[in-house]
Amino acid sequence: MLHRLESLESCTYDGMDMTTRLKRKQQYYVVQNNNPVELCASSLPQFQGLIGNNLGSGQMVELKRPEDFLGTDDFQEFVNLPVAGPEFGYSEKLDLAPPEAAADYCISWTSSCQITTLNTAVMKEEREDMILEKMESTTGSGRASFNKRKAEAVADHKRNKGEGEGESEVKTKCSTEISRNSSKENSKASEVQKPDYIHVRARRGQATDSHSLAERARREKISKKMKCLQDLVPGCNKITGKAGMLDEIINYVQSLQRQVEFLSMKIAALNSSVELSVENLPMKEFPAYVANFPAAAKLPEMAGLPCFELNPLQKESVKCMLNESMHPPQTEGIASASVSISEQSLSSSSMTQLQPFSTWNMDPQGLYNMYNMGFH
Amino acid sequence: MNNPHHMNPRSLKSRFTTRFLRALTKIRAQKPISSSSPTEIFRRYRKIKVAADKSMAYSVRSRKTWSRAMLWKLRSRSHRRRPVKTKFRQSVMKNTKTTTTTGEDGVGFGVEASELRELVPGGEAMDLCNLLDETAHYIKCLTTQVQVMKKIADFYSL
Repeated sequence: MLHRLESLESCTYDGMDMTTRLKRKQQYYVVQNNNPVELCASSLPQFQGLIGNNLGSGQMVELKRPEDFLGTDDFQEFVNLPVAGPEFGYSEKLDLAPPEAAADYCISWTSSCQITTLNTAVMKEEREDMILEKMESTTGSGRASFNKRKAEAVADHKRNKGEGEGESEVKTKCSTEISRNSSKENSKASEVQKPDYIHVRARRGQATDSHSLAERARREKISKKMKCLQDLVPGCNKITGKAGMLDEIINYVQSLQRQVEFLSMKIAALNSSVELSVENLPMKEFPAYVANFPAAAKLPEMAGLPCFELNPLQKESVKCMLNESMHPPQTEGIASASVSISEQSLSSSSMTQLQPFSTWNMDPQGLYNMYNMGFH
Repeated sequence: MNNPHHMNPRSLKSRFTTRFLRALTKIRAQKPISSSSPTEIFRRYRKIKVAADKSMAYSVRSRKTWSRAMLWKLRSRSHRRRPVKTKFRQSVMKNTKTTTTTGEDGVGFGVEASELRELVPGGEAMDLCNLLDETAHYIKCLTTQVQVMKKIADFYSL
């Protein structure tokens, strides 16, 4: 048994040398479905030789088994396995993650040309595992899979002996079965057999039909976005799991909305309590602010407001203006403009006048600085 | 003189701040400040809240689904009895990438996703993927809003 293993190992190495030749052959393989095994076999003359030479007596004993299954479906299945090989030529990305299906052994032979040498070691191990498995398993499937490999060797042998015609019929008949079997077999193997146009690397143990792939892509997008949200919401680093994260996000959004409500209520209450409000408009916004008012055109000199410092007399006059504007304004445009502007100027001045603001003593520029600094 | 902490005039914060302050002054200009009855305060609170939402939505314009939905809501509130509502809603819905909002996108997303949809304006018409995007932007805008309003409230209370 060990001897055989070693022999097979050496076979694989030789098989690696055939990579380019196999690739070309596999293209032909697709076109002609007549004798797939022939193509496969013909492309590996050395391989055959090795099989013939290295498979010792121990091998011969097991070669007899496939003959027993000649008439059965198992053998047909086995014979058709090589058919699956050329299909690999279609999929650009052959992810040969260690497959466990029985057919993978043959698949590995034909696909070895496409995979890089990195995978070859994996394939080798798989083959060894498979052989060990099959040697020990007594189940029908195991036997069939084991026999599949052996039958291929047998087929090669037989072709060498010139008996390929009868087999080719069997092979073509069973070509339909292999597709069925492949679908029945693990989804892990199916990733190798079905051509994938999206070229997503399917991981081990995951289905590879287009629906599941699309779902998986979507799920990954969502998990990415959840990570971004995790950065936004404070205190989410410890929480794992989408449900908990979503709960946290919902709580945070609710708390933020409540905070906005509370603050607007606070501003409303403070608004009513303080007679003269403090406007913290940025100074450079004043011209734009003034321009928005319909009466701005009538008060071009007001644009110069931000730059001046109110002396007490001016403050008094502005205050009077404000008081007057409290009454129903006669001329709406001017009054509204004057009210707003006077409010602003008054706000800067009120800082110095009203008791709570007496400590500030700030000019408009200082107010602006305060406003800016408050945000940093 | 150039302030070293000059705020970026194009940033969301500055845009919201200017709009909100303008709205505040308008609100104060509308009514006499002297009244401080609870109903007045409540009315003022409503106005201020609406002004805050409006200024935030206008700062974001139509770039985000939630801002569009919020603007539509505000407009429909002001034009309450107009039959234009349905047309507005359709146009808003068309702008949003409406997909069937099935809860099957991920495992166990259904309940929380529906809750989130209620919170975020315009969330009903979004699939989970876009909903998460909108939520992120909405959270960012809400935090800005809260910051600015806090500063204003602090200035008022001082």
